[in-house]
Amino acid sequence: MTVDDKIDKIDEKIKEIKKAVSEIERLASDIEAIKKNLVRLRASVKMLELNVSDVKMVM
Amino acid sequence: MTKNSSIYWNPLLETMDREKLRSLQLKKFKRIFEWAYNNSPFYKKLYKDAGIEPGDIKTYEDIKRVPKIDKGMLRNTQSKEPFPYGDMLAVPLTEVTEFRQTSGTTGTPVYQADTWQDWEWWSECWAYILYAQGYRDTDRLFLPFGYNIFVAFWACHYAAEKLGCEVVPGGVLDTEARILKMQELKCTAFAATPTYVLGMADTAMKIGIEPKSIGIKKITCAGEPGASIPATRKRIEDAWGAKVYDHIGATEIGAWSYMCTVQKGLHVNEAFFLVEIEDTETGEIIEEPMKNGKMIITAFDRYAKPCIRFDSKDVIRWADYDCECDRTFRCIDGGVIGRADDITKVKGVLLAPTAIEEVVRDFEELSDEYEVIVTKKGDIDDIMLKIEIKPGCESRKEDILKRLKDQLRVKTNLGYKIEVHPFGSLPRYTLKAKRFKDLRKH
Repeated sequence: MTVDDKIDKIDEKIKEIKKAVSEIERLASDIEAIKKNLVRLRASVKMLELNVSDVKMVM
Repeated sequence: MTKNSSIYWNPLLETMDREKLRSLQLKKFKRIFEWAYNNSPFYKKLYKDAGIEPGDIKTYEDIKRVPKIDKGMLRNTQSKEPFPYGDMLAVPLTEVTEFRQTSGTTGTPVYQADTWQDWEWWSECWAYILYAQGYRDTDRLFLPFGYNIFVAFWACHYAAEKLGCEVVPGGVLDTEARILKMQELKCTAFAATPTYVLGMADTAMKIGIEPKSIGIKKITCAGEPGASIPATRKRIEDAWGAKVYDHIGATEIGAWSYMCTVQKGLHVNEAFFLVEIEDTETGEIIEEPMKNGKMIITAFDRYAKPCIRFDSKDVIRWADYDCECDRTFRCIDGGVIGRADDITKVKGVLLAPTAIEEVVRDFEELSDEYEVIVTKKGDIDDIMLKIEIKPGCESRKEDILKRLKDQLRVKTNLGYKIEVHPFGSLPRYTLKAKRFKDLRKH
């Protein structure tokens, strides 16, 4: 697998995580424990985007 | 990815082709510019007044058209709503989870708001630093700073945790207790200002502990330029028997630069920051190496209080060498050489305080502390250098003073009055030292 392929695959997975986070948020927006932990999860996902997905912008 | 990918926190960015890196910077600049324009009333007004909007940034050259901001503007905006950050804030106040402030050494402190994502970004920036300096999950890192309102080593703490290091918070302990704790726990590394690192070595000796015996392998310095000054770094490395690495960051900016294990220049994390060096006389952006100018910096990924083309007043220069580590992030040479407002003309000669430090710290007979006071008598500038001679070296005082005066003249083209103070009597600092005092301006 080339580096570009690898970046593509990782980026796809990151998008899936983001989608899952949004779905959980929609399902449990009335549960504070979930809502606030999702804020942290989103921040971590953002770091994955900065480290990998952003690279796709110049591929 | 390169063959030595294990030395990089993220080889995808740290070894990215320069052309792609520049293209990435442009795209990220556009992204943060658009964010600030749409979400921060302060930035929107600034850019509207300048007649520039997101669609206008098409090329790297267009970035130069974007108005700069400075510390004075950051302070002024704080008088507006929402309290206490003002209208530069680009997120709802309810999303702010972190408060920090600048030390206020140059005026009213600037209050910095960060969301949890920004805070995660801070530690991500620090993760690049620590990993490049050889920190791994086998390290036990001691952090001897007051965990308080100043950003100091907070993000270092979280980044070290991210790397898997074991972090020992040395918060409210005094210096002696910190040294004893580092010794007891067999810590492998610590991080502090160069001044405090030297002060800790002094204190260790006073309580009968040879610093080298503690087993510290690496020390990360920040807050002052010392670790990029060869004489100061050597002094620290000799005292602790450890490798010493520099890092530069600021509350309003983030952790933007780091020395790697090669210990040459400091890499700018160009995937996360845009550093421009501006000629202080012509205002032109300097691309050529070894030419001093002041830094204009943009943090691409900080959202609550965006930092876009911030005139930091730090004087830096691009290095004229590539680092052997193969990172493509460009290096600056010698760290922060001075502050645009500190580099001053004395007797008609441009003087950078770091040049004095370089000379003083090269004298083994002198203590770590010194002070420089510039005054004016009539029309004539006067520079007084206060020093301490180490115990046991007093008998060589005349020879030391002669050599010191000669070296200072060679390095700075200026003559100095030198005042010798008893060992231990000059002020000791635990955070940033204020050793250069220009009293002509007051």
